[in-house]
Amino acid sequence: MRMPPFELHLPESLDSAMTIAGELADEDCDFDWIAGGTDLLPNYKWHLNSKPHVISLAKVSELSTLEPTHIGAMVRLQALATSDSCHPLLRQTSGTIASVMIRRSGTVGGNICLDTRCFWFNQGEEWRRSIDWCIKCDCGTGADCRVISHQNELCVATYQADLAASLLALDATIHLASPDGSRSLPLAEFFQEDGITRNVLKDGEMVTHLTLPDDAEDWQGDYQKLRLRESWDFPEAGIAAAWKIDGDGNLDGLRVASTALESIPRLHQELADEAREGWAGVESVNSLAVAVQKAVKPVNNTWFPPSYRKKMVRVLTRRALAPLERVEAAN
Amino acid sequence: MSDDDEMVGYKQQPGKLPFARPGSGGSEKFSELRDESRIPESQGGTLAQPQGANRHDSLITGAAIGRRTPMVDSRWKVMGQAKYGDDIRLPGELFGRILRSPHHYARIRSIDTSAAEALPGVVAVSTGSEAPACFGVLPVTKDEHAMAQEKVRHVGDLVACVAAEDELTALEALRLIEVDYEVLDAVHDMRDGLKDAEEPIHDRGKYHIGDSNVQKRVFQEFGDISGMRDSAVATHTSDWYFAGANHGFTEPHAVAAHWEPNGRLTLYTPQQVPHYVHRALADVLDIPMHQINVYRTAVGGGFGGKSDPFPHEMCAAILARKSGRPVRITFDRDEVFYVNRGRHPSRLGMVIHADSQGRLCGMETDALLDGGAFASFGHVTTYYNGVLHTAPYEIGGFHYTGTRVWTNKPASGAMRGHGAVNSRCAVEVGIDDVCEQLSVDPIDFRLANLLPPMSRTITGFRITSIGMRECLERVRRASDWDDRFRKLPLGHGLGIGCGFFISGSALPIHWEPNKFPHATVHLKVDMDGGVTVHTGAAEIGQGSDTVVALAVAEVLGLPLDMIRIRSRESDTSPVDLGSYSSRVTFMNCNAAISAAMEIRQELLDATSMITGAPTERLVIGDRRIFSKDDPAVGVSYLEALQKAQEDRGALASSGAYRTPPMGRTHKGAAAGLAPAYSFSAYVAEVKVDVETGQTSVLKVWAAHDCGKALNPLAVEGQMIGSIHMGMGQVLSEEMRYGRSGNLLNADLLDYKIPTVHEMPEVTPIIVESNDPEGPFGAKEAGEGPLLPILPAICNAVYDAIGIRIHELPLAPALVHREIEKRCKELGIDDPLDLPSPDLEHSPLHHVLRERADEHSVRDLERKLDGERDQYHNGALFGLDATIPADEQDDSWTAVVLPDEQYLESPRLAGSAWLHVERRHQGGDA
Ligand SMILES: Cc1cc2nc3c(=O)[nH]c(=O)nc-3n(C[C@@H](O)[C@@H](O)[C@H](O)COP(=O)(O)OP(=O)(O)OC[C@H]3O[C@@H](n4cnc5c(N)ncnc54)[C@H](O)[C@@H]3O)c2cc1C
Ligand code: SF4
Repeated sequence: MRMPPFELHLPESLDSAMTIAGELADEDCDFDWIAGGTDLLPNYKWHLNSKPHVISLAKVSELSTLEPTHIGAMVRLQALATSDSCHPLLRQTSGTIASVMIRRSGTVGGNICLDTRCFWFNQGEEWRRSIDWCIKCDCGTGADCRVISHQNELCVATYQADLAASLLALDATIHLASPDGSRSLPLAEFFQEDGITRNVLKDGEMVTHLTLPDDAEDWQGDYQKLRLRESWDFPEAGIAAAWKIDGDGNLDGLRVASTALESIPRLHQELADEAREGWAGVESVNSLAVAVQKAVKPVNNTWFPPSYRKKMVRVLTRRALAPLERVEAAN
Repeated sequence: MSDDDEMVGYKQQPGKLPFARPGSGGSEKFSELRDESRIPESQGGTLAQPQGANRHDSLITGAAIGRRTPMVDSRWKVMGQAKYGDDIRLPGELFGRILRSPHHYARIRSIDTSAAEALPGVVAVSTGSEAPACFGVLPVTKDEHAMAQEKVRHVGDLVACVAAEDELTALEALRLIEVDYEVLDAVHDMRDGLKDAEEPIHDRGKYHIGDSNVQKRVFQEFGDISGMRDSAVATHTSDWYFAGANHGFTEPHAVAAHWEPNGRLTLYTPQQVPHYVHRALADVLDIPMHQINVYRTAVGGGFGGKSDPFPHEMCAAILARKSGRPVRITFDRDEVFYVNRGRHPSRLGMVIHADSQGRLCGMETDALLDGGAFASFGHVTTYYNGVLHTAPYEIGGFHYTGTRVWTNKPASGAMRGHGAVNSRCAVEVGIDDVCEQLSVDPIDFRLANLLPPMSRTITGFRITSIGMRECLERVRRASDWDDRFRKLPLGHGLGIGCGFFISGSALPIHWEPNKFPHATVHLKVDMDGGVTVHTGAAEIGQGSDTVVALAVAEVLGLPLDMIRIRSRESDTSPVDLGSYSSRVTFMNCNAAISAAMEIRQELLDATSMITGAPTERLVIGDRRIFSKDDPAVGVSYLEALQKAQEDRGALASSGAYRTPPMGRTHKGAAAGLAPAYSFSAYVAEVKVDVETGQTSVLKVWAAHDCGKALNPLAVEGQMIGSIHMGMGQVLSEEMRYGRSGNLLNADLLDYKIPTVHEMPEVTPIIVESNDPEGPFGAKEAGEGPLLPILPAICNAVYDAIGIRIHELPLAPALVHREIEKRCKELGIDDPLDLPSPDLEHSPLHHVLRERADEHSVRDLERKLDGERDQYHNGALFGLDATIPADEQDDSWTAVVLPDEQYLESPRLAGSAWLHVERRHQGGDA
């Protein structure tokens, strides 16, 4: 398996990364950012939308800060999984990602920006030729989507990264930088419901870090992941829940987010708010689980059948919320 | 030389040695005492022999066998020094790549390679027209070519190949080859393969079966067929679907071809069966075999997936010849899946009958096998799916219809447990169900229905040693079975499964077994004292080099480091059939022992000459040969060797093994014949999450009868590895074909091999039944240990949730669906309220226990009594044990063709017999 050739740029600071990005943009050269490469390189080896230039963030020192409420884009997943200073929910979640070896290379930024996946797409070049390609990598043929046919516009490839769900449940803010300046937005607004564009990143823009609200440490949570094997396998469904218990032991805040079920991860804030208002322990857990199940629409492009994944959303949500079965609503 | 005829001429001066004694280097002068605990009782030692004596007992020196021995080649591997297929580097080599078909089935109208040839850096391009000769692993079904001739038969089928200065250029060249295809109607569903087709995938001329895609069909009926249905009081019926599985070995296929300056071809390839490649190369290249040297590199796992001669091996040789330079081809993982040869996707109909005495009065199996686009080993697989479940149980009737069809998929072939795995799973699950119906314990049931040692199965296989009973008893004890089976809470279960496998196929594929040996081993012992073993047995990581070395070391009483194995090259190794059908230990060690016995005799004679002690009274200890009567009378191995080498130099010997004549004479009688069989019983403990359908295996108690563990470490390794592999097929592994017919998971992320996290805690239990013909009593441990894990897990899942699922893998979505279905049937909302099965023994339980006790005594007697009578399957049903059942009772039949009555309503695979072979169609056909 050989990658198509590309030119690698290795900036050592954020500024010089931005300069290179700006120059490439001026020359109209396509490029990709590369962090740990655990997602990008397999795709390149499969000749999936590879670019002539690649800018590596490996040496950009500003991006590796890891503090309780500040997570740099270049923080390795294994560091997150074993760190004492990061939120327990993030520690738990990152510990389920891929395998130790992949986590040692894989980064938070790469995980957030993970390319969407689809079994008609994540295949070798010859294979894709044999099905006459698909929109996401159509090699100029204008091919149809193989999952939902007769529409060659929208790609419904699945976003199968874990961290986003937990970060959404913790109400994270994402911080971006581009040659034109930087901006910040709630993580929930970062993703775009299209398997090809995936997120709001503009050409030349990158993720620098994520921050959590100051009261993050008051929130507890759980992440439930559906997959076939205990290691390696991408999530087939993921549910993160975070909650805040007040001084009286009552439920004071609740967020639930799902991932690996659609082309974006999703924060189910309205459902959670509704449930929290009249929180009644087990009953609420069950009804919220049903509501979340109804809210997601998986399609058939990952290993497990979508009907099963959807059914499991209820079980996962229930299990994630299990600690709240005996909790009451705060008034 | 006696003193009388002393040599004239140069004479050594007494007391002065101008050169060292042969092999006298090193400071270790003293040998160790013979370890009595390793010498069998029958030879005067203290090693207990509960299973009686063996013909090789007198050769035991205590030097090697039975010790936990790391593989002799392990250091090369762990130090990164072993050279696997892709580690071969040759000066001036080119990179070869293969152009593969994007269509499932298509006719090639034309191929234009001119643009590819014109690309700078491309040295040679070749297409099918340059290699028209066909080949195939079985001489009866040669249907493969180096590259497509007129048609491509599956996505990934070979169309053309390119050799270039570097890989990227080769890949670019492939893009430049223009192929004009006419797409044909493809067959994806194996059931469609049974039907007549416009254009069958292959054309076998007058032997073609109708116009269908049936490649091979088998019909067998043995025993009391109508009686078995009449006397049944419990009947299990199931329709199974088994997804196809791939071997999933670590090393992808890789080959390097080099036409040496002397005009001979050396082909470097990680092969399990180098000899068949040797033959196929000669055919395809149209050169004599002596111009080819097949060099087997280290093999990074084979499991049956590297035992066919492969088209890419031919391509490398063709490109190397054309370019005049060495050519190397290494597969990407998807290409491994395109050559496949994995376990057949199958649809299996299983019927098991038990009578009022708790006897297995009948088995009716119908197996439809999806062969993919080529025959490969399929002819044999079609037999194995039936005949390999005619033991270890004594049965009243055996009805088998098996059919293998071609479909437009990568070819299925031989994979660890070849042909026996799926049907064994169905049989053992069926027995579990029958026991459930009879309210008896499934272990008791099995113990009361076993064939004894030295017996014949219903189809005439010769069972020699059988350790099945001990296997069952030991896993029962180890797993605390009696206290836990059917008593665990919902979602937690225990299950049993057994296995039976050949220890080497008695039928060599390429020649007559009665004329040529299956294995030949040469030994050379030179002045350094070390023993060089030349064998063609292919070391594929299973430890064949080690076990052959152990056998030789044992006979000669030498430490293992004095034995070196040369098993790589066809130029220096005597022909061996290769590493398949679990034949190497049995056949190669037997041959090695014969060769070592010759050397041994020469050493004893030499010692006798030196010491004057009679040869018959001499024994071999650790590097020392001495008199039994007075251990002080003796010489070191090296002294004896020096004496033996006088006048002639290096000692050389040759040993061979061939199976004794055996079996019956019906068509297909040879399939499944083996000089010995292995047996195994496993208990698995599982947890099933009833809300998600996810199954995990917690523990496995695995007992395997390998005859004699020449290397217990290797036997345990094989058992644990087999469990991992078999478990993959039960829980997660499948070659999944999508809506378009394409293989969706030709990679190791989505071909779901269990990881270390999924691995249960395994307790390996080695059972030694001491086979009378095996080397030091050994049989096999390479494939048999895989069989029982599938049914053990399936039965444990039943114990956990009370639902039988007849489909593998037991994917969570499937299990969950079945749980939902059951909840609906029972009107239960929450799956956590499902009932879990229990067991209340019926009166039959005592009948079985008594019979099992009697049989236990019977078995030991038969094992130890050399004068025993014949025992044919059928005695349990009241027939005379000494005569084959069908020769004494008319209601017992032995037929291999369906009659008209059967054809009125055949089963699925049996319906292949509705087609008439073209040569019998009459008219002009
Ligand atoms: C076998 C295997 C199993 C896996 N299992 C899981 C799993 O269970 N769960 C899971 O979540 N993931 C899984 N992954 C995906 C794994 O690649 C990611 O989890 C990892 O975090 C990606 O990080 P990376 O640094 O390697 O990303 P890269 O490969 O370097 O980049 C991924 C994508 O993000 C972009 N990118 C990276 N950093 C930035 C940035 N700072 N700003 C903007 N864009 C950026 C890249 O351009 C690229 O498109 C698995 C991967 C493999 C190979
Ligand atoms: S969802 Fe459709 S467009 Fe997107 S990758 Fe899959 S097949 Fe292609």
